[in-house]
Amino acid sequence: MKKAFLIILAVTLCYFAKAQSSVLDLGLRLQKDIGLYSENGISINFSDKNLLPDRLYIGFSYFTSRIGTAFSSNAIKQDNFLISPAYYFRRDKLIRPFIRLNAGYFDADYGSPIFNVLPNKSLLLSPEGGVSIQTHLPLKISLSLGYNVITSNGVNNVPGTIYPFFYQLTLSWNILKHKK
Amino acid sequence: MEHFKTQKMKKILVAAITLLVFAGCNKTPVVPANELGGGVIMDPSLTDPAAYRISVSQPTPTAAQAQIPVIICSHGYSASTFEWDEFRTWANGTSKYYIDQILLAGHGTTYAAFKASTWHDWESTIVDEYNLLVSEGYKNIDFAASSTSCTLMLDLIHSGLFNNAGTTVHIFLVDPIIIPSDKLLSVAGIVGPMLGYVTADNAPGEDVYYYHYRPQETLQQLEDVLNTVRGELQNGLTLPKNVYVKVYKSIKDPTADPVSAVLVYNGVKTFDGNRIDINMINSDIHVFTRLSLVPNVTALDRQNQVYAFNDITTRIFQ
Repeated sequence: MKKAFLIILAVTLCYFAKAQSSVLDLGLRLQKDIGLYSENGISINFSDKNLLPDRLYIGFSYFTSRIGTAFSSNAIKQDNFLISPAYYFRRDKLIRPFIRLNAGYFDADYGSPIFNVLPNKSLLLSPEGGVSIQTHLPLKISLSLGYNVITSNGVNNVPGTIYPFFYQLTLSWNILKHKK
Repeated sequence: MEHFKTQKMKKILVAAITLLVFAGCNKTPVVPANELGGGVIMDPSLTDPAAYRISVSQPTPTAAQAQIPVIICSHGYSASTFEWDEFRTWANGTSKYYIDQILLAGHGTTYAAFKASTWHDWESTIVDEYNLLVSEGYKNIDFAASSTSCTLMLDLIHSGLFNNAGTTVHIFLVDPIIIPSDKLLSVAGIVGPMLGYVTADNAPGEDVYYYHYRPQETLQQLEDVLNTVRGELQNGLTLPKNVYVKVYKSIKDPTADPVSAVLVYNGVKTFDGNRIDINMINSDIHVFTRLSLVPNVTALDRQNQVYAFNDITTRIFQ
């Protein structure tokens, strides 16, 4: 599953590099699971100039506790891969609400075969909503609150460290801006 | 006109949110007399402490008695001494070790007492009993903890309570909770005040031994101690030289998420840098050592319980 995501990402980046008049935001995603870990990573979001430009986006994110709470600690090392269609309202305004639907994959490393009896992989599904600050610079700051639909209840074969609520901050740069 | 409508809507929204937030603030359930918390039923250890605590029934042990291991049995959140009754029954009055069942502060009495208690109060009960037994002269004191008491025991290890133990303190953690199965506990601070309390889905008969109504204040206390100890495990907990820890964890658990075992195992090291002992138990019962009033108990459930009791009462001599 991880390899499939990485291949999709590589192909998509190649395509994006040629679509020079659209929006391609590359960014850092800083996520906090409410009540649990911080998980950080990268986020790539693209909007095609021919399809609801700067309104409809498709994104890819990878974020992990390895560069969050699990960095130099005994917290569980877990990885998240998301594909996310999103819609940004109020085009050309400074403050833009947006909604996003994430679908993806979660994988936790428990570190010992003793815990092979426990679930450590899961699909992810989460709606998100928030606001984006979009100046005339290529910089975009997005803040949102999300809800993981698939979580564990201790008996349902879902990893226990997927928590329901999270918020995230993405700082991104439109690498296609100023190119013609 | 549009501006006026927007202003009016904002006021309505603010009023609605305020009402919602404060709606639960003074909500108190009416606890029936036939349930724990109603003020009539009390934990029996309160009226007959000598039957539950060796510290009360035998406060001046002889030199020989003082060498006999004492196992302090400590229950979980919203529970009572009932949680370890079967261990005592199974021990069948043996003279090889003593079973000492404590009742955590705020538990086994009234809803109001529970509501006013903090996790520091719950923990103090364990500390007080341990110190009392030490002062009475008992030389070999061990612990069998279940659920939230496991969390408290880990915090007590972190606090240094056992740093200077003269003999090995054996600490057995049955279904430790670090990550709750009910993930909504993570927003107890936000949702709790709106609700006032939550209602437990106890099995028939359990309302006499487990609080049916859990005040939101206690849920916040629970969330606080879980987060505190999770942080201690993340930073790494090294056991003092004379402390032995073993975990027994159900692989499915509707209260203490089984991933809690991973956090304890990865977070604790022995004095000489090794991992602690652990058994992942093929069970879907929370506190699998307590089977009384549990619906649909299987032969495997009974085997698991007996295995744990045997293992505990063997290891206390190692």
